[in-house]
Amino acid sequence: MNNNIPVPQVETDVLAAMSRPGYAWLTGFGLAGLLFVGALALWAYQIQHGMGVAGIMHPVGWGVYIANFVFWVGIAHSGTLISAVLYIFRARFRTSFNRSAEAMTIFALMVAGLFPLIHLGRVWRFYYLFPYPNQRQLWVNFRSPLVWDVFAVSTYFMVSLVFFYVGLMPDLAIVARHRGGWAGRLYRVLSLGWSGSLREWRHYDRLYMFLAAFATPLVASVHSIVSWDFAVSIIPGWHTTIFAPYFVAGAIFSGTAMVLTLVIPMRRVLHLEHLISIDHIESIAKILLLTSLIVGFSYIVEHGMAFYGNNLFEMEQFRFRAMGHYSLLFWIMITCNAILPLLLFVQRLRRNLIFLFVLGLLVNVGMWLERFVIVVCSLARDFDPYNWGNYSPSLVEIGITVGSFGLFFAAFLVFVKTLPVLSITELKER
Amino acid sequence: MTSLVLNKAGIYTLLMITTLLIGLTEFGLSGKPGALLLTLLFWSTIAQGCIALVAVCELVNARWMASLRRELLSLYPLLLLLPLLFLLLWPQLDLYPWTKHPNLWLNKPFFMTRNLALLLAVFFAGRHLARRSMAKQPAGPAAVIYLLLFVASQSLVAFDWFMSLVWPWISTLLGAYFFTEGLYGAAAVSGLLMLLYFKQKHAENGLPVTIHLRDIGLLMFGFSVLWGGLFFAQFLLLWYGNLPEEVGFILDLVSSSPGRELAWLFPLTLFLAPFLLLLAAPVKQNRHMVAGVAGVVLAGLFIERLCLVLPTVPMHGGVLLFYNLLLFALALVILHSSVHATSQID
Repeated sequence: MNNNIPVPQVETDVLAAMSRPGYAWLTGFGLAGLLFVGALALWAYQIQHGMGVAGIMHPVGWGVYIANFVFWVGIAHSGTLISAVLYIFRARFRTSFNRSAEAMTIFALMVAGLFPLIHLGRVWRFYYLFPYPNQRQLWVNFRSPLVWDVFAVSTYFMVSLVFFYVGLMPDLAIVARHRGGWAGRLYRVLSLGWSGSLREWRHYDRLYMFLAAFATPLVASVHSIVSWDFAVSIIPGWHTTIFAPYFVAGAIFSGTAMVLTLVIPMRRVLHLEHLISIDHIESIAKILLLTSLIVGFSYIVEHGMAFYGNNLFEMEQFRFRAMGHYSLLFWIMITCNAILPLLLFVQRLRRNLIFLFVLGLLVNVGMWLERFVIVVCSLARDFDPYNWGNYSPSLVEIGITVGSFGLFFAAFLVFVKTLPVLSITELKER
Repeated sequence: MTSLVLNKAGIYTLLMITTLLIGLTEFGLSGKPGALLLTLLFWSTIAQGCIALVAVCELVNARWMASLRRELLSLYPLLLLLPLLFLLLWPQLDLYPWTKHPNLWLNKPFFMTRNLALLLAVFFAGRHLARRSMAKQPAGPAAVIYLLLFVASQSLVAFDWFMSLVWPWISTLLGAYFFTEGLYGAAAVSGLLMLLYFKQKHAENGLPVTIHLRDIGLLMFGFSVLWGGLFFAQFLLLWYGNLPEEVGFILDLVSSSPGRELAWLFPLTLFLAPFLLLLAAPVKQNRHMVAGVAGVVLAGLFIERLCLVLPTVPMHGGVLLFYNLLLFALALVILHSSVHATSQID
């Protein structure tokens, strides 16, 4: 960023992004909304006709819905990483991304939370997941990682929401100052009467640091617990100790790629080039490279160890992944997640926005496929050959998956027009 | 102390003498390979970790330990000691169960070749990084190369040196666990160095040593949480899975004394103690307290290695003590010589 930009200009530049929506915004929002409405219709169809309309059946009882859940929880990770972890490490480039990454976290968690409900079939029974006193004294199985998931993801959602809101408060007061009428009054109420006094800033700084410190271990714990949904079982390909850090690194990897996918066009469309500099985008690209290396390392260890030991089932599982029914998806996954990001070692490419945008998209494709390969391959080929069978997602599952992207992008587009996309106060400090 | 200041040739001669002394003890007195293996497992983590921590700081432009960068880098000659000591393990490779049924990956020639090659590569990469960094030249590519080799080397230390001792027991996390411990151990070494050099650094202009002391405390705190997470992720899963080939190893570890006591002690020293102590801000600002916690962490790392190796490989307690005291003294001499030489140049 050019540090010579006058302070009032930072305010006007960021607030300019919140101006009346143009045709591009309306078209994007309409398309995303349409996809989401389509997904809702398909979900209603699934509820009416039963889970038979989805492709999941014996032996693959977890299909695209669970892959989507893991994928979206993963996307949600970059928000807290960029906001909380980089805040603790005093990395200044975070200010270019933290607001949109935090918003992305909230929306991705909302989307992720839908998938266990969709997968549940009889969605009206969702409250069975919570431990509540009941007449028959039936309790959830506290030893099941699926119950851990409920607590982990909901805690993460609440902390991320509070963190997002606390960070917004000073900016909401600025928006209130610039806006008149009912909108101004609404922003004033939302800012909780923020006046920017020294006392308020002192409390704010302490709370923000406390929340950042609280959220950081949550980043690791949430996806570790999601990984244990698989790893605590003894299914070949799932039961492996590296799963927790591998899932966390993969989550940050996919989340960072999504940040690039969203921020690069946003920067251009909203004319924020002078506030989100190429240097800052390069720093995000370096995080992408680092997490790609960790994911690549995990692939090597996971596959190598299968053939290092003497467990025939593990060997067969990893042979099946690389050479079996889903091998095409597997090799696309390897290419997108572990090979193409190595190009980021070249500095020129780390600063090339078109390359980074395309790479971000490909990494997201690769990471979705990774979730699919992990979920489906192990169930398709477990111990007993009599129990083997392949799975293909049905049109209903594909439609709902596409619709989830519609919900995510629609929510992000609403965010762009209703809240400051960059942290004005932090930009002023910078 | 001036009499202890050695030049480069003197340091390398001292490394040879140390190797010779350990070799003579190993094949003359000890007769049990456990002490050498354990010494290698511990010192490879510490020596490689110290340079790796500087490499990380170099890459992310971190100032956490800017005041100790020179001291940590000066330990790089220790990296050469690792391949030399590893060579002494060659005649004793029969301690590994797979030597009776060698396969494509686990066979004596390939085991020695890949480990030696990687240890030497780490030494040369570490030396290159140290020279560039101390000459204040851009060291980004050197740091990347060193870190990649460090991860590969520590993964082999975990999988080859230790895990293949208890084949077919498998933990895919062990490689990442070991290289994280390398960085954790380096943060602890920094805590000890702070105690040694605090006053001297304080006297140097422009170095916010008090902030660096707090940063080292914070870094150890962060690593204690990370270590706790990795420990939990690894052993919870094995315990929960309850497969005989996995949980059997843990049962062997904790079913008899002293493994039972050691197995309690190392999570206490690597997670609970640093976590609780470093929560308090005054502890992070007191160099004696930070050094105390650092000492506990290093002791914890040693105890953990001891606990892992003890049930499988016989060792001589006195020999183990001798090796480690010798290496500790060597590290101090290298540190003193390098720092003294650099300060004279400055």
